[in-house]
Amino acid sequence: MSESELGRKWDRCLADAVVKIGTGFGLGIVFSLTFFKRRMWPLAFGSGMGLGMAYSNCQHDFQAPYLLHGKYVKEQEQ
Amino acid sequence: MGGECVLSDSGQEAPRNTWFLQGWKASRMFLIKGSVAGGAVYLVYDQELLGPSDKSQAALQKAGEVVPPAVYQFSQYVCQQTGLQIPQLPAPPKIYFPVRDSWNAGIMTVMSALSVAPSKAREYSKEGWEYVKARTK
Repeated sequence: MSESELGRKWDRCLADAVVKIGTGFGLGIVFSLTFFKRRMWPLAFGSGMGLGMAYSNCQHDFQAPYLLHGKYVKEQEQ
Repeated sequence: MGGECVLSDSGQEAPRNTWFLQGWKASRMFLIKGSVAGGAVYLVYDQELLGPSDKSQAALQKAGEVVPPAVYQFSQYVCQQTGLQIPQLPAPPKIYFPVRDSWNAGIMTVMSALSVAPSKAREYSKEGWEYVKARTK
């Protein structure tokens, strides 16, 4: 694995962790306010779930170095 | 006046249709809360925020491109509606600090120092011993 590829993986992992922890925290806030009477445990639960999902994604990404991350490109009509 | 009358705990009559009203209010509140929570869950599912890492990275990049102009337009709208003038802050200084280069340089410095440490220690101790021998003569 080249250093540039390693750097891209780390960037992807950090961005993924930020998004997933933030999403879990946000969902925890919503459910705490709507159903759980403003308790703190939904926030902790959501943040923890987001962190765990991000860690799992990073682990798969680093342990499977031969998978390519492609993206869909629309075919241009001739 | 319709509906049967039932005696409550205080002994006063409470018509059954109040039960229906209370139940309707409770279910309406539950519907509103459920709609808000369900909408949040659907938004997360639709934007694939809890999906693969490349989708999350794309969502973060898209948010970084969309949010600052939206905040600026909202502030301009608030200024127009309220007549307040938000002072223009100066642009923050752009600091270029390559963390990776500094870290790599630091690691190489530490490792080279550790590699020459035994020979340097031997050399300094030898010089110190020569100095002490010269002073004691």
